[in-house]
Amino acid sequence: MNTTFWYLLVSALLIWIFLPRVGLLAMYKTYRAAQEREQVEDALKHLLDREQQGRQTSPESLAGTLNLQRGRIVQLIEDMEAQGLIESRGVNLSLTTEGERWAMHVVRAHRLWERYLTDEARMPLEKIHNEAHRREHLMTEAQLNEMDAALGHPIRDPHGDPIPTRAGTLPKEEGMPLTAWQATGPARIVHLEDEPTLAFEQILAAGLRLGQTIRILDKNPQRYLLTDGEIEYRLAPAVAANVSVVALPESEVAKASSIPLAELSYDQKAEIVILDDAVQGFTRRRFLDLGLTPGTVIFPELKNFFGDPRAYRVRGTLIALRKDQAAQIWVRPV
Amino acid sequence: MNIQPNDILAKAESLRNSLSTGFRDEIVKSLYTEAENIAKRAVKTATDKKYDFDQRIDRLVTSPYAGLPIMLGLLGIIIWLTVSGANVVSAAIATVLFSVGDFGRGLFNQIGMPWWITGFIWDGVYLGLAWVVSVMLPPMMIFFPAFTFLEDLGYLPRVAFNLDWMFKKTGAHGKQSLTMAMGFGCNAAGVIATRVIDSPRERLIAILTNNFVPCNGRFPTLIMLATIFVAASFPPALTSFIAAGTVVGVVLIGIAFTFLMSWILSRTVLKGEASAFTLELPPYRRPNISRILYTSIIDRTIFVLWRAMQTAAPAGAIIWVLANIHIGDSNLARAIADWLNPFGLLLGLDGVILLAYIIAIPANEIVVPTMMMVYMGAGMMVNGPSSNNEIFNLLVNGNGWTMLTAINLMLFALLHNPCATTIMTIYKETKSLKWATLSVVMTLGTAFVVTFLTASIARLLGWV
Repeated sequence: MNTTFWYLLVSALLIWIFLPRVGLLAMYKTYRAAQEREQVEDALKHLLDREQQGRQTSPESLAGTLNLQRGRIVQLIEDMEAQGLIESRGVNLSLTTEGERWAMHVVRAHRLWERYLTDEARMPLEKIHNEAHRREHLMTEAQLNEMDAALGHPIRDPHGDPIPTRAGTLPKEEGMPLTAWQATGPARIVHLEDEPTLAFEQILAAGLRLGQTIRILDKNPQRYLLTDGEIEYRLAPAVAANVSVVALPESEVAKASSIPLAELSYDQKAEIVILDDAVQGFTRRRFLDLGLTPGTVIFPELKNFFGDPRAYRVRGTLIALRKDQAAQIWVRPV
Repeated sequence: MNIQPNDILAKAESLRNSLSTGFRDEIVKSLYTEAENIAKRAVKTATDKKYDFDQRIDRLVTSPYAGLPIMLGLLGIIIWLTVSGANVVSAAIATVLFSVGDFGRGLFNQIGMPWWITGFIWDGVYLGLAWVVSVMLPPMMIFFPAFTFLEDLGYLPRVAFNLDWMFKKTGAHGKQSLTMAMGFGCNAAGVIATRVIDSPRERLIAILTNNFVPCNGRFPTLIMLATIFVAASFPPALTSFIAAGTVVGVVLIGIAFTFLMSWILSRTVLKGEASAFTLELPPYRRPNISRILYTSIIDRTIFVLWRAMQTAAPAGAIIWVLANIHIGDSNLARAIADWLNPFGLLLGLDGVILLAYIIAIPANEIVVPTMMMVYMGAGMMVNGPSSNNEIFNLLVNGNGWTMLTAINLMLFALLHNPCATTIMTIYKETKSLKWATLSVVMTLGTAFVVTFLTASIARLLGWV
């Protein structure tokens, strides 16, 4: 009786371990395969990034980025060479056509995920990079195309980086680093570099955000002094180099003379000038559905006894918005 | 000319990059401009008297002084109407349905059915159904029309507007207050009502916490306890007000737990920032009585009642079986209750209460009759003694109840797991076993922790 019991238990355990596909061993193998693919994809992304910056990639820099032991890196590079993804030229590594295609695929996955997390899941900006990094792997081409279509074929990710197209091409970066910006006129922030994280956190802590219009008040080797017309921002030059800007288009200059809807006083009629570029996806669609289109007359009519939200009269209906939402709609008093 | 679908897709792909980023805004803008032009041609606007009137009402119901009292007042009135009105109707329906049961039982006896078939069908299944209908139908027939009236009037969005600030603090959505209001009628209906919340995270919070609003099915338990233990020491004329007031108090505790749990959820499993909130405040409308009656009776009352009846019938059967399988000189129900008793006492309750709640997972309405059945050693669900004094006597002197038992039972009734229908609805709405399970674990855990704490504190301070 007792022997039978142990016999059964041991054989059940063995079956559990060795069962194909659902057994423990099979699960471990799947896990290892996924982990290896993640490392390959991260390596490809790193190489692509360096190539776009016109810099060389060595096994050391790869090991540093992926946080891997030297032995493991050598193994990884050998594997990737065998798969025809990279080739070594002396000490430097470079992507093959196939490697670049795959790298572009991963970049596309990452940026689409960032777009999704911001627009649809509405995660805070500083959290999306890590989450997207976790989700970008193991995506098929078809899944990405579906995601792309569902998000309305976005062109840029929330940091302002271009999203590779289905064909795997990347539009040229249009912005220039703030440190290279010479004009005195207003400039629009088109990209906030999210790596290194420390610099990105400083940019966010300073209060700068994508799509914001700024002017350089003063610059010296210690710091950059910026303003958006009201608040002054201070950045170290090293951090300022991670902020890319373009000259403001004519139409955008209009925003400089407008105020956020949240700051409009009661019964003061105003005309909607523009919805902030930072509002995309779900929230933007919702705003547009409610008729909050540029040119519409709007005024705050009703105040909650806690001060937030407020209800606005627009197109004859009364619509309540929280302060954070109303801050993203730019209006000009009329 | 031979154009392939792929050519068109490739063309679209290449043109997409040349679109300006704001082209969607432009499309919507042109749609609105077109609509405005049509409206200008077709619609004539008279002077805006109605608009001024609406504005004045809005200023009043959202004002710092009157807003909150008006809300609480309306809640109190609806609960009082439900509590005091339902009693009378309930008794009438019960009389009719129970006499049908007596007739059926007599008929079965006459044609010589074995006692256990008669018992199973009439004292089990039928009694379960009759009980749920008589307890559940009257409050719903009062509550749902009243709720639908406020909804039709246009007042409910103002409640969401007033309370949004609190919900924002807890990381939830202001419209959750609407789903909570619906939850007073039925938590399953409240869970379905969360569809008005368009962000998935906030909707899940609303779904998971809806159960902290006591539904109609749980009101009878609260009312009985409030009447017997709280209102008994007041003059008879005030009884229904005191009972309603106590129930309102319990409801406020439930609302406090809703906020607390929403806050905890949005910092743990449903981490995230308070997100896009847009709420339309429609103009006030003269309520349409026939539509109110149709919506509240057909769409809501009958719908909810039908679902409750489906679960009540098997529950009735199980109760009868438990009460009629004899072990020695007691029955199975008593035996299980005795076995659960130590745990029940730990929570300031007792074994019978826990047993009643286990059996009543399908329908909370039968908690009180099941408790009475076990306390009185009866073979089927019973109403208990006819007067409140006798019930008090039975519970306190006969079965060792204290004020702590009454209070903890009220808390347990408020916080415990959702009924089977609600759990099923949560599963259907979320399509996820995980969230359905969490809704049970979270509420039951809260109920255990809170009752255990109150019991321990009361004992520590020597109150019982």
